[in-house]
Amino acid sequence: MLPPATDSPRVTTLHRLSPTVKLGGALLIILTTVLLPRGVSWAYAMPAALVFLLWPLSGMTFVYIWRRMLLAEFFIVGFALFSLFHEAARPVFFSAFAKSNICVFTLLLLTWTTPFHLILNELRRWRLPGIMVTTLALMVRYLPVLVEESSRMQRARASRGFTRRKGVAWSNLTMIIGQLFIRSADRAERIYLAMCARGWK
Amino acid sequence: MKPAVAIKSLSYRYDGGSPALDDISFTVEQDETIALLGPNGAGKSTLLLHFNGLLPEKLPADPVIWIDGEPLAKETLAGIRQKVGLLFQDPDDQLISATVFEDVAFGPRQLGVEGAILRSVVEHSLSLAGVAGFEHREPHRLSQGEKRRVCLAGVLACKPRVLVLDEPTSDLDPRGRREFKALLRSLPGAKIIATHDLELAVDLCSRAVILDQGKLVAAGPTIPLLSNEELMLAHGLEKPHSLLHRHPHS
Amino acid sequence: MHLPDGFLDAKTALLSYGVAAAGVSIALRQVRSALKPREVPLLGLSAAFVFAAQMLNFPVLGGTSGHLVGGVLAAVLLGPSAAVLVITCVLMVQCLMFADGGLSALGANVFNMGILGVGSGYAAFRAAKWLVRSEDIRATVFASAFAGWCGTVLASIGCAGQLALSGTAPWSVAFPAMASIHMLIGVGEGLATGLVVLAVLRVRPTLVAGAGHGAGEGRFGVVGYGLLIVLGLVLFVAPFACPWPDGLENVARTLGFSHRAVDPLIHAPIPEYHLPWAVSPALATAFAGCVGTGVVFVAAYAMARLLVPAFEGGKKDATSGN
Repeated sequence: MLPPATDSPRVTTLHRLSPTVKLGGALLIILTTVLLPRGVSWAYAMPAALVFLLWPLSGMTFVYIWRRMLLAEFFIVGFALFSLFHEAARPVFFSAFAKSNICVFTLLLLTWTTPFHLILNELRRWRLPGIMVTTLALMVRYLPVLVEESSRMQRARASRGFTRRKGVAWSNLTMIIGQLFIRSADRAERIYLAMCARGWK
Repeated sequence: MKPAVAIKSLSYRYDGGSPALDDISFTVEQDETIALLGPNGAGKSTLLLHFNGLLPEKLPADPVIWIDGEPLAKETLAGIRQKVGLLFQDPDDQLISATVFEDVAFGPRQLGVEGAILRSVVEHSLSLAGVAGFEHREPHRLSQGEKRRVCLAGVLACKPRVLVLDEPTSDLDPRGRREFKALLRSLPGAKIIATHDLELAVDLCSRAVILDQGKLVAAGPTIPLLSNEELMLAHGLEKPHSLLHRHPHS
Repeated sequence: MHLPDGFLDAKTALLSYGVAAAGVSIALRQVRSALKPREVPLLGLSAAFVFAAQMLNFPVLGGTSGHLVGGVLAAVLLGPSAAVLVITCVLMVQCLMFADGGLSALGANVFNMGILGVGSGYAAFRAAKWLVRSEDIRATVFASAFAGWCGTVLASIGCAGQLALSGTAPWSVAFPAMASIHMLIGVGEGLATGLVVLAVLRVRPTLVAGAGHGAGEGRFGVVGYGLLIVLGLVLFVAPFACPWPDGLENVARTLGFSHRAVDPLIHAPIPEYHLPWAVSPALATAFAGCVGTGVVFVAAYAMARLLVPAFEGGKKDATSGN
């Protein structure tokens, strides 16, 4: 589920680029792709070729692409279906489909080669408000902890008896989510104390 | 020599008014390690939060805690917080940053340390804690033992004079426990260790203090105190196995 | 409802970013003034919580499963401004760490789910509580469930409007499809929201910001969010929902892409969107919307009565006065 470990050694070209270049580059590619006019099919070949060429430089695995693109395609195709009702269906559909896929691939290259805390550093340099930086940092740090807690709670419930009844399943799930919130709030309190203990004001 | 830690008549009530700590007094000498024992709910963790002023939320006008002879008050709070290093029970509560380096650097950064000095402080603290070279690791991929050591490194990076530890070996496997004990033994300075691990108390601590329902019920040299089976059982504890066949005065 | 890149044209994306940025600025201002230092980590942990909650599978029909979005849940638990920030951060991480949702569409997604969904949901929450004139557990649970539904539906309407404004999808198809799908999905969201709020209220009522009376949002927040929601609806929905059925065609002619007189690939089931018995499409839509909302309102109330036993329901929660 989570992006690959960043502490394992990576020697690919794209990994070594500075986060500024990668984030800025991704933004540039996405913006140009999105601004491409409809009905000019050959123009899409350019950004598509670019990201395709960047792919081997990143070492991004098929497994990673497959898992992420599967979910993305669901939304892409879902939304693109609307365009088929358009008066000018074919160019609109093609344009939306091509643009979104190129952009998702670009984002995948970014997320594969750049650990989020480096992206966050960039955003901080680009003047993202402090409270959002803190929130994003803590969120990313504690997401695996909370996912682990919720998995544990689900396993505990499941081991107390498997049921197909939806009502019970919903009741269990919502109780787990409620518990998760309470534990998160308690943990937030302890984190505050731990931060203060090391001099945070 | 002034004691490293002195508390006198410390009392604390929870928000709802129920008493949590009642008239606690004891001292810890320089370089002494004492064990804080007691059943769950005795108030150990609550007491530990007092040593660096995290509790009470508003410090009393008359000080009840002295660190190295300095009274804990609003004016001295910042300095004392740096002098007292507190290791929390759950390392995940203390490891807040994206990488080990960032986390260990958190404390020194609050004190204004930056650049090359910061890097060397972090490196030194990590090696003191036995996790040298972990700078780029991500906290959630570490083992429990490694997390605890990184937390310790983060605390040591602030160069405290007193270490306060809340259940430091609670979720470690036997080897982890042995290694952490050895690590603690190697660290200088006064230490207060709240623990359920009675063997740890026997091994590391020259004196022990027993808390029950917020009151200090016994204090004294560790081995005689813990050999007193009646006392131990009366307060939700037990005589540690290593003392079972040992004469208390041998 | 995460819009990928490439579905919104430049003007719509920019407009969405604009209103989203305005909304997040309001939220920042509100949070900075109201949040105590010891609550700062709670924002981060709540964002992680929402994300983790979104990952759980709720069994729906057949073998399919649904997921909680959690915007309105966050608003009931933390207050609307904190919820705006939390949802914005969740969307940012989904985009920049999981490539879920487009980067150029981030503004639109933040507006739809973070501001429109959260704002309208919270407004519905307060309105529903006010209507039943009660502050007890039952009222909070019912209002949360109703609000969860409302927020989902409104967010989807915003999304449909943006697609239509971009010329990617005709309003006459996008709106009914999105709205009806999300009216169904919204039932799940509302139910889950209500149940989670109930679970938290039973154990730790002080953690539910929405259960207290009205420390809530200051006037600045209420007016600010209200204006933004209205602005968003004006920008993205009003051009299409106006009573002139050929509004879009006028727009198309003006903007110059109506010359493509190519037949659509699939003919819309209701050409020209005329319902036989309605006076005008807009009125019919509005009527249907009101009926749907009313049905959900009653259903949410009934659910709350069913799930919260009388002795508990009448109990005043910890934060309300006695």
